[in-house]
Amino acid sequence: MKKVIALTNVFLKSSFSNYNSKMGIQTGSKKKLPKVLYFILILYLIAIFAFLSYNLIDGFIKIHQEKVFIGMILFGIIGFAAFQSIFSSINSLYFTKDSEFILPLPLKPYQIISARTIVLILLEYIIEFFIGFVPLVMYGYQTGSGILYYITMLIALILIPIFPILLVSTVIMIIMSFARFAKNKNRFQIIATILALILIIAISLASGSISGEMTNEQMAQMLMKANGMLELIKGYFPSLDFLVNALTSENIFVVAIEIIKTFLITGVAFGIYLFIANKIYLKGLVGNLFSGNSRKTKIRLKENDYKNSKLYKTYIGKEFKILARNPVFLMQCLAPAIFIPIIMIGIVYLQTNSIQKEGFQLLFSVINVNSIQIASIVLGIIEFFTMFIYISITAISRDGSNAVFIKYIPVSLYKQYIYKIVPNMIMSLFSIVITLIIAQIILKFNISVLIAIFAVSSLMSLFQSMLMIIIDLKRPKLEWDSEYAVVKQNFNLIFPVIIGLVNIGILALVTVFFKNLSIYISLGVLVLVFTLATYFANRYLYKNQEELARKIY
Amino acid sequence: MIEIKNVSKSYVKGKKSIDNLNLEIKNGEIFGFLGPNGAGKTTTIRMITGILDADEGEILIDGNNIKKNPLKAKKSFGFVPDSPDMFLKLKGIEYLNFMADIYDIDVQSRKNKIEELTKKFEIYENLNEQIQSYSHGMRQKIVICGALLSEPKNWILDEPMTGLDPKSSFDLKEMMRMHAKSGKTVFFSTHILEVAEKLCDRVGIINKGKLVFVGTFEALKEKFKENGSLEELFLEITEKG
Ligand SMILES: Nc1ncnc2c1ncn2[C@@H]1O[C@H](COP(=O)(O)OP(=O)(O)OP(=O)(O)O)[C@@H](O)[C@H]1O
Ligand SMILES: [Mg+2]
Repeated sequence: MKKVIALTNVFLKSSFSNYNSKMGIQTGSKKKLPKVLYFILILYLIAIFAFLSYNLIDGFIKIHQEKVFIGMILFGIIGFAAFQSIFSSINSLYFTKDSEFILPLPLKPYQIISARTIVLILLEYIIEFFIGFVPLVMYGYQTGSGILYYITMLIALILIPIFPILLVSTVIMIIMSFARFAKNKNRFQIIATILALILIIAISLASGSISGEMTNEQMAQMLMKANGMLELIKGYFPSLDFLVNALTSENIFVVAIEIIKTFLITGVAFGIYLFIANKIYLKGLVGNLFSGNSRKTKIRLKENDYKNSKLYKTYIGKEFKILARNPVFLMQCLAPAIFIPIIMIGIVYLQTNSIQKEGFQLLFSVINVNSIQIASIVLGIIEFFTMFIYISITAISRDGSNAVFIKYIPVSLYKQYIYKIVPNMIMSLFSIVITLIIAQIILKFNISVLIAIFAVSSLMSLFQSMLMIIIDLKRPKLEWDSEYAVVKQNFNLIFPVIIGLVNIGILALVTVFFKNLSIYISLGVLVLVFTLATYFANRYLYKNQEELARKIY
Repeated sequence: MIEIKNVSKSYVKGKKSIDNLNLEIKNGEIFGFLGPNGAGKTTTIRMITGILDADEGEILIDGNNIKKNPLKAKKSFGFVPDSPDMFLKLKGIEYLNFMADIYDIDVQSRKNKIEELTKKFEIYENLNEQIQSYSHGMRQKIVICGALLSEPKNWILDEPMTGLDPKSSFDLKEMMRMHAKSGKTVFFSTHILEVAEKLCDRVGIINKGKLVFVGTFEALKEKFKENGSLEELFLEITEKG
């Protein structure tokens, strides 16, 4: 146990070892600024989640369905933990750099895996604070719950993400135990991630359907009952059911029994997990670390390709190659641009049944599609999609200790910054075009409106890309132990969200202030706003190119 | 030619990692930079190559100030950093092509140069594999090849011998000699005293950010009049310094 705790400490430290180690160059009052900034950001996030929760709960209370909120939040946490840990556990269990140092130490597999898993769970708690703690406190406040509720809530929040993380990690360990047989380590990592994704979705779909398919009438009936909606989402996960019961009950015995049940199920799950891990973890890890070096067996010698290309082409090509060949970057930087819009829109499309579809069509035939309101909504959706393209915000950090390269080659820094945001732009354009094609199919804009929307959204994401690289330059995270740390455990990733929200705010303002004017004027104003914003961001990047690179050494 | 004039640098305020350094590495010279761990060798090299800004003083490479005229200065040197773990996801040949594009080398001469260098270092056969699959020494070699591709006038190498096997180390030293003979400059840091003794025209010894000796190895031995081993000599200098 001592060893597990010590190891957990080490892993935790290395997950959090960030920019601070390079802060030395800053001195005096400057140093304190980021802390204030952190504080404001955290408050801002709390405020957003509290505000959203407040409105939701309020809505639910009005239709006497407030308890459904608890189910929703817990379900959300489980879903989030499961989804998130597909990426995080495959990385921290198998692809962290420190594994090579840990392996030779006299540790038992279950000790390593316990420490790694505890770290995963602890990191999950940080996110849970925003998506779980804040909303549930709001719930307690709005429903005037007593102390029992708050205590139960804390226990629930501690227990709930554990089960999904264990489940996902087990699936991943089983998949990874085949790593030995894989020829190409990178390709295997991508395949393993996708496989895990499919498996987890399959498992959750299966467990969902066990709770029974329901006809529309049954559903309507359940909704009529007070808090009947809750019944609909319980039962997706064993521990979810117990905890929802505990949180919605005012009877201390019920609460105690449900909590004990959750404890037991989590404990048993952990036991089984460690048992499996003890059997297969090390094999997979070793197989993964030392496989894929098929250098000796490869006899076929390809002819070397000496080709001469323009600097911008090679440079951007190099950026794309690194993004595409690195499984983590591929999944986190390139894939979202293509998959998120398709998946999101697909889900919306599938979820709305045919009656609703007809309703929509009717709606669209009545209202004026070519209005700034509709255009703003489409722009807002695009903004939402493009903000998760993390290429620009990690442009410098992704290079890690090799980031200094940009400083000693004879190419101006400004040019290199631009080359580094081009991939972000290209992927954003992908997103924009996909979304606009789908929007056009559904909404049928005038072509000129469509072009104007395209112009606004392109400028918006150009501006955003520039701002992102400036932020990454100012706060680079260059010392990381796995690629995963750059694209997930990186505080900078909050900035795309914030800037996205600001952009959406600008859209909302324009919509409100120009609602009586022609759509072309409104969109024209947006073009102007984002052109100016881009111009200033670009000027800043150019003028401060050297100064901006100071943190890279 | 590399000129370092009155250069100082602190990472942390109040603690000078480099203290008023003055050095001139002339054309046709191999200059060895010695010093214990943490002495400031890498810091100095980072400032020469433009990775770090000096707090005070100026650095010229072939007469071009690295801060005021960075592109020209950077064109005139090839740099091998202390860690060779770069561009692991690129294939060797992709990395070298990339470097050749940066330095604007035409197809025929890059083909010749790449073949010459990689065959000498025996990594020619591996050029179509990702650098990730290379051993430490092979990575070191590909980085050296990348740096020398453009035939830069000044070579700046941070501990280039670490990880190289005896033959490659020998080859690199030969290349350094040839380079210096043709009137160009080699500046490298090392911990290996024998290398410094046999290879360098002059050595500089730095300790705790201060230059404690510059001159030929013979002068060094003379100055400290030590007949013991090189290690003892080194210890004596750095402890006195
Ligand atoms: N990023 C950094 N932040 C703060 N201090 C640093 C940093 N890098 C180096 N230093 C300090 O600067 C001094 C010189 O370090 P430098 O890396 O130049 O040494 P070195 O001579 O190259 O050593 P080695 O032989 O180990 O490579 C050391 O005292 C070190 O602690
Ligand atoms: Mg060093």
